[in-house]
Amino acid sequence: MKRLPSFPTQRVDLEKSLSFTFQNKRMEGVAGDTVGTALFASGVRIVSRSLKYHRPRGLYSLDGESANTLVNVDGLPNMFAEGLPLKEGMKVRAQNYRGSLEKDRLAFIDRLDGFMPAGFYYRLFHKPQRLWPWFEKKIRAAAGTGEVDVRREHPQGRSRELYLKAEVCVLGGGPAGMSAALAAARTGARVVLLEARPNLGGYYDWRVAENGGRPLYELGGELAGSLGGFPNLEVFTQAAVTGLWGDNLVTAAQTGGPDLDYDERYIEVRAHQVVVAMGCIERPLVFENNERPGVMQPSAALRLARTYAILPGKRAVFSVGDDLGLEAALDLKGLGLEVAAVADCRTEGQDRRLLEALAKEGVEVLTGWAASAALGEPLVKGCVLGSLSGGETKRCDCDLLAASAGVSPLAGAMTQAGAKLRYDTHTGFFLPREIPPGIHPAGRVSGYVNPRSVEASGRLAGLMAASMAGFASEEELAQAREELSGLPGPAKGVQLATGPGIGKGRKSFICFDEDGTVKTARQSAAQGFDVPELAKRFGGFGLGPSQGYTPGVNLPLVLGQATGTPAGDLSPTTQRPPLKPVFMSTLAGPGHDIFKRTPLYDVSLELGGVMRRVGVWKRPRFFSADKTSRAEIKNVRENVGLIDVSTLGKFRIHGPGALKALQRVYISNMATVKEGRLKYSAMLNDDGCLVDDGVVTKVGENDYYFTASTGRAGETAAWFRYHTRYDNLDYHLVNLTDVLGAINLAGPKAREVLAKVTLDDVSPEAFKFMDYKEITVGDGVVARAMRLGFVGELSYELHVPAGATRYVWDLLMEAGKEFSIAPFGLEAQFVLRLEKGHVIIGQESEARTNLIDLGLGFLWDRHDLLSGKIGAPALRFNEFQPGRLKLVGFHLDGSERAPGDGAIVVSGSDIEGFVCTSRHSTALGRYIGMALVTGRLAVEGGKLQIYQNDNNLPERFTATVVPTPFHDPEGLRLRM
Amino acid sequence: MSNTITCPICGKRDHYEFRFGNEERGPAPAQKGLTPEAYVEYVHLRDNKGGPQKEWWYHRDGCGAWFTIWRDTLTNREVSAPGEVKP
Repeated sequence: MKRLPSFPTQRVDLEKSLSFTFQNKRMEGVAGDTVGTALFASGVRIVSRSLKYHRPRGLYSLDGESANTLVNVDGLPNMFAEGLPLKEGMKVRAQNYRGSLEKDRLAFIDRLDGFMPAGFYYRLFHKPQRLWPWFEKKIRAAAGTGEVDVRREHPQGRSRELYLKAEVCVLGGGPAGMSAALAAARTGARVVLLEARPNLGGYYDWRVAENGGRPLYELGGELAGSLGGFPNLEVFTQAAVTGLWGDNLVTAAQTGGPDLDYDERYIEVRAHQVVVAMGCIERPLVFENNERPGVMQPSAALRLARTYAILPGKRAVFSVGDDLGLEAALDLKGLGLEVAAVADCRTEGQDRRLLEALAKEGVEVLTGWAASAALGEPLVKGCVLGSLSGGETKRCDCDLLAASAGVSPLAGAMTQAGAKLRYDTHTGFFLPREIPPGIHPAGRVSGYVNPRSVEASGRLAGLMAASMAGFASEEELAQAREELSGLPGPAKGVQLATGPGIGKGRKSFICFDEDGTVKTARQSAAQGFDVPELAKRFGGFGLGPSQGYTPGVNLPLVLGQATGTPAGDLSPTTQRPPLKPVFMSTLAGPGHDIFKRTPLYDVSLELGGVMRRVGVWKRPRFFSADKTSRAEIKNVRENVGLIDVSTLGKFRIHGPGALKALQRVYISNMATVKEGRLKYSAMLNDDGCLVDDGVVTKVGENDYYFTASTGRAGETAAWFRYHTRYDNLDYHLVNLTDVLGAINLAGPKAREVLAKVTLDDVSPEAFKFMDYKEITVGDGVVARAMRLGFVGELSYELHVPAGATRYVWDLLMEAGKEFSIAPFGLEAQFVLRLEKGHVIIGQESEARTNLIDLGLGFLWDRHDLLSGKIGAPALRFNEFQPGRLKLVGFHLDGSERAPGDGAIVVSGSDIEGFVCTSRHSTALGRYIGMALVTGRLAVEGGKLQIYQNDNNLPERFTATVVPTPFHDPEGLRLRM
Repeated sequence: MSNTITCPICGKRDHYEFRFGNEERGPAPAQKGLTPEAYVEYVHLRDNKGGPQKEWWYHRDGCGAWFTIWRDTLTNREVSAPGEVKP
């Protein structure tokens, strides 16, 4: 199709053609086209088939306010052709048809509407009930929109997120929004403006009509240009607002593309004040076949010509409800469109200049008339116009029927924020009432129509917002108020929803998404579903992408007519977020793999460490391909190994109240903690269940150093402060977790290695088991050294400054060479500690496991009733409670493999517990494990029946309960 | 969860910087002479008020302070304490 000559309003580059395919046919569009306009320019009129009746559908509003132009683009279903920017090489396919799009084999369903009254699927097919699955399958196959291709790989990492703060966030970049943003930015407030279309300007963008002697598109361009000079103003285009949430949080989805690093970007603005200036959509006029391809909204027809340089038809009939419609008819006539007739449903109130200009062009304007039917199938070939006073009709031939009943402000964001919409009989708009504080309507949503009033209301809203955020002055505000009061107020609008003579309205569509007609709306009302929220669900109106748009306003009007409700009492259905569809991948986020590295992360990699995520960290699990880590385990038992334990929580607590805080959160008597000695203890929750364990030492007067387990480090400060929040204790808690690295040097040769790197005395007499000592390592690195025994061997845990951790590691590796030192990973540590029967919280405990169940009851200072020890009352009350699961060790009887973690312990058909951990023990030469089992089974020498069913492979194991530790029960090795 | 919370140290911030710490129930009961019933009442039972309630919040991604605010559980908005007049 030939495009119109170049003109300043155009947003397409006619020189730059883009090729794409539709239904495998090669087509051409130009840069700046949407998929929808490129299809239209290539002669495509039927873009999709409707959900229920398989009726042909095409371009309607150009803003994707209904499912009419949902297409599959490059394998992605349900993309809005009307708004989606065209890109070179796009593969576009239609949806929901059988056979061919032009001759859909299921189109016959359109004639069966008599069998499918409102809510038919709720009432038919359910009796007898056993037939429902069969019917459901058939209905689902026939009805629907796009199909998700589950095999299609969605490009990873093509979404981004942006979190902004603003004093004023302006929703909408039309004349009102731009004026608001400009006024607010001038006061110095930080302003964010979000506009859904690719360019600012709103309804000024394509209009050549003049205001003050200058065309509107020029004024719009000027306003947009004036936004450029403010460092405190950020403008986002192609950013559709998806929601306005509590305390003025605005969310939006911004379309990207191949040239950007995102396909879609999630934008979240925390705004002090919000200006809602989202403009309006055209309110559809409902008549017979009002969604036939060839019927479109007057502004869509005008935009095709002015923005995309496409003449929307050859011969047109207009049925309009406001001056914008008359203006479109006049402008398109000037561009070469033959205008057969213009019906205006108003009998008065038209702009006289427009009527005169149309008369001069020889166009007949029928006032008090509206469209009653579109003729032709599958495309519009003509129409019937009717007089609203009754009787008279007129047939016209046309290939374009530009119809609307006026406009309707977009107020979805306002209602999400809590405003109520009520029909305003003067403007014919649903306008917000009870607007929450901090939200300022501007432009259409305030009822304004006149361009100067729209701009002035924007300026006022922008200043009000800025003023409430502490910027604009009273004088500025008063001035803006006065300016607006001198301009035309909200204009009189029309209430008409349905054209004349539509009869039952069998094919008069209120909702295009679900094929909801006037007839089904009336049926809903007759059956008692007579308010919009009920009819919406029963009849299927606005449940699709058009929620709040195409059917949102007409449904209450039609229902109001049917039930005789006074117009002033009508309110539309709730428009829920997201206001525009968003990719799930956008909401899921960019998928960053965010993790913390210890100071030894790099050296672990260099040494062949296989990294695994552990909480917020990535740590080496193995140092070889052997997932059982037998060589690493053997080396620790026979020689010496070292492991990075920097992820341990490391804390200092000091001050006069420190001991009281420790007494509160630890279950043991912390008054016995001595300088130079380590005390092992545990923290419980109110239920007496273990939440953390670690060691504590005293490093000075009212000064303590303690460790927390890896997964718990982030919680520790909150935990201490929460449980002492009423006590006003004077203490400081310092989290040293990231400040200090930590290395555990373990094995029979550990002392010999350590002695080589320090001049301090580390002899067994000077540095005993459970001693704490500050020693100097290498070139003067001060290490907090602890003689502990988690893995059951002689071992030293060295806590050193993070920056020196690598140095100390290398020093130990070098010194240990002659003793066959080697690093070991988490798996080796896991097995080594299992052999010692040491528990790991979360592995050998679950939410109900208390201290006593784990055999750690000896830690509890049961005589202390005054410190308020967390969890102590629960231990007291539950100490002898029957039915609790107890931790036991077991040997597996003659098995060649271990049951998985979580395998159940059974007795007949009863579950009597579960396996916490089971592994092969090199030291013992057999499979061992720990399980939580009922008291009845927790008897030494007793048998456990273990059952698991992984991947439908049922397996049974038998085990014998044995005492722990399994290895070196006297603990001689760690006391060496 | 889009609401804001006012930290007494850092000011008004996004909700997701904070961690909830339950409704205000006063300090834990004394352990001497404590009955299981009284303990369960304190640990597990909540008023679940519909309307303004005083509750604890922790500024996890901020200063690390525990503090109380009043929040209307029906609107999920921070509100003034009863009797308090905000400027």
